Amino acid sequence: MDILRAITENRIWRSVVRHGVRATNRNRVMVVMENVFLHLHSTKVRGRSMELSSTYYLGGLALTLNAILTATGLMLMLYYHPSVPQAYRDMKELQFVVSNGVFLRNMHRWAAHAMVLSVFLHLLRVFYHKAYRPPREFNWVVGVFLLLLTLLLSYTGYLLPWDQLAFWGVSVGTNMVRAMPFLGPVVRFHLLGGNIVGENALLRFYVLHCVLLPLALALGIAVHLWRVRKDGGVCGSSGLRRSGAGQPRE
Amino acid sequence: MPGNPVSEFRLEGNSDARAVPKRVALIRREEPARLLEDRDELLTTAPHLLLREVIVVQLCVTGLAVASLLFDAPLEGIADPTDTPNPAKAPWYFLGLQELLHYFPPVVAGVLLPALAVVGLVVIPYFRINIEVVGFYERPRKRSLAALGLATALVCGFLVAYRVWSVLVPTLLIFSLTALPAVPRCPAGWKRRLSRIPLSDWIMTWFVAVVTILTLIGVFFRGPAWAWTWPWRDGIF
Amino acid sequence: MREDDAGPDKAVTRRHFCQATGVAACALATGGGAIVSADFLRPRVLFEPATSFSVGPPDAIGVGSVLDFPEHRAFVIRLADGFRALSSVCTHLGCVTRYRPDGEFIACPCHGSRFALDGEVTSGPAPRALRWLQMALSEKGEIVVDTAGEVAQGTVFKF
Repeated sequence: MDILRAITENRIWRSVVRHGVRATNRNRVMVVMENVFLHLHSTKVRGRSMELSSTYYLGGLALTLNAILTATGLMLMLYYHPSVPQAYRDMKELQFVVSNGVFLRNMHRWAAHAMVLSVFLHLLRVFYHKAYRPPREFNWVVGVFLLLLTLLLSYTGYLLPWDQLAFWGVSVGTNMVRAMPFLGPVVRFHLLGGNIVGENALLRFYVLHCVLLPLALALGIAVHLWRVRKDGGVCGSSGLRRSGAGQPRE
Repeated sequence: MPGNPVSEFRLEGNSDARAVPKRVALIRREEPARLLEDRDELLTTAPHLLLREVIVVQLCVTGLAVASLLFDAPLEGIADPTDTPNPAKAPWYFLGLQELLHYFPPVVAGVLLPALAVVGLVVIPYFRINIEVVGFYERPRKRSLAALGLATALVCGFLVAYRVWSVLVPTLLIFSLTALPAVPRCPAGWKRRLSRIPLSDWIMTWFVAVVTILTLIGVFFRGPAWAWTWPWRDGIF
Repeated sequence: MREDDAGPDKAVTRRHFCQATGVAACALATGGGAIVSADFLRPRVLFEPATSFSVGPPDAIGVGSVLDFPEHRAFVIRLADGFRALSSVCTHLGCVTRYRPDGEFIACPCHGSRFALDGEVTSGPAPRALRWLQMALSEKGEIVVDTAGEVAQGTVFKF
């Protein structure tokens, strides 16, 4: 215990951590309030909203999966060149040469599928609990936008291995885009950077997948979580009042 | 205050609303103030919520790690623009769409219907029917079932015209469940629970059922040339 | 001079003018930036395979033969009435079709569309017939097919 006291009661520690370490109410509140990463949380939460049946933690699951995807994706980027045919050779290298390459790629792939699934389940949970009712309508719209971004992220990432599965899956998809009236061919041309799924398409999908879409998703998540706070916290099954309009504002 | 006899009650007049509030509650001894609703206990985020979040992260990472050790992500041959695999399937979350393409032209299945679904989702919180949590049979209007029946008949007619059996079956199934409480022979327990479900829930359930069935068909039951296959007999393509 | 002295909706105050000019300048800058960015995103040079390819001398192709060039996505067919070139890109969603000699039809592996040797759809979800392509004879006496040049259905070339 003396070691702990020595660590936590000297000048250096005090310059970084501005609250005490004993489990007082004040310290617990300060942990959340004074931390830039944690202060999006409210300092206190309702006991009922933390029950499993309230939210099934699906939103948190989606966020966790996003963090895992970002971390594994960053690591995969170090061994991947978005050019043809080098991209495919890099996939083979990740599979057979890079230490834990298989594991990393698998984590990324299964986390991607799990994220699409958990985002969809989160949408269903919010719907059936009627947690989109005023004042939470706009947050629902932001959520749908995030769902679309998740699907787009998954789709742009799908092309990157440059195998038959990737190439033809994206070919069919972009041909469907061409079916859009008026804008279809133009959108397809800009998306692919040309007329065919080739090197330009791979590079554009790479930039979309690794930079633009994650940025958009991060901004969307920020707005989404901010709105949760502003609308009065997470709304679980307690929002299902039999009588009707809206839930109480906090 | 509960317990004070009425005779001690005094009314003060004052124009300053902050000193003397305008609302007065009279509580008699025989009606003590009762706690109608248990106010949620407020707990500090640290440690209660943060601990649960850490657990979610740990479970998620562990589960993914186990899955990653057991199952490998697929990697086929290098992309060959001249060799179209048979069948050429999109990722699983788009296979429902690709199955729809089998029935409708690309403009409808690839652009119109997805756009309709997205717009439909976005506008949900702005419609009164989605705000009221009133069971379909708890509504005052008696003609709700007839109107719903007409809408369902129109949709089914459209589906039959395009021979979309895979969507027709769940539509009919869910409509039967919705209509079941109106049938005289319906068991009381079922009737009670089914009649309390609001219409918006029925519609969303229908949507989820259709999407799920289309995706399952696209994943397991479609083979070369998008022909129907039985996965237990011919394998999964 | 206070804003109230400006008169009912007629006189434009200096403040209004400056605000309007400022907003217009920002809008112009934003619009200009957007247009320039959109133009930037459109590629000016495409490194894609050449659209024309040579098939060889006409005499090397026998009557009744169907040649499949998957890397150029084209069929070259010689029948009794002459030569024809068809695009092998399925008109449904762009998959590459294949010739099936056993049934003498062209089939798409993606959704089961089938085409006759004149490009017409015989079954499946394809909405239109296969495109007929431009053919020409080069100076060296070889047949050249231009996959980017479309001709009317039924245009038969005689070399």
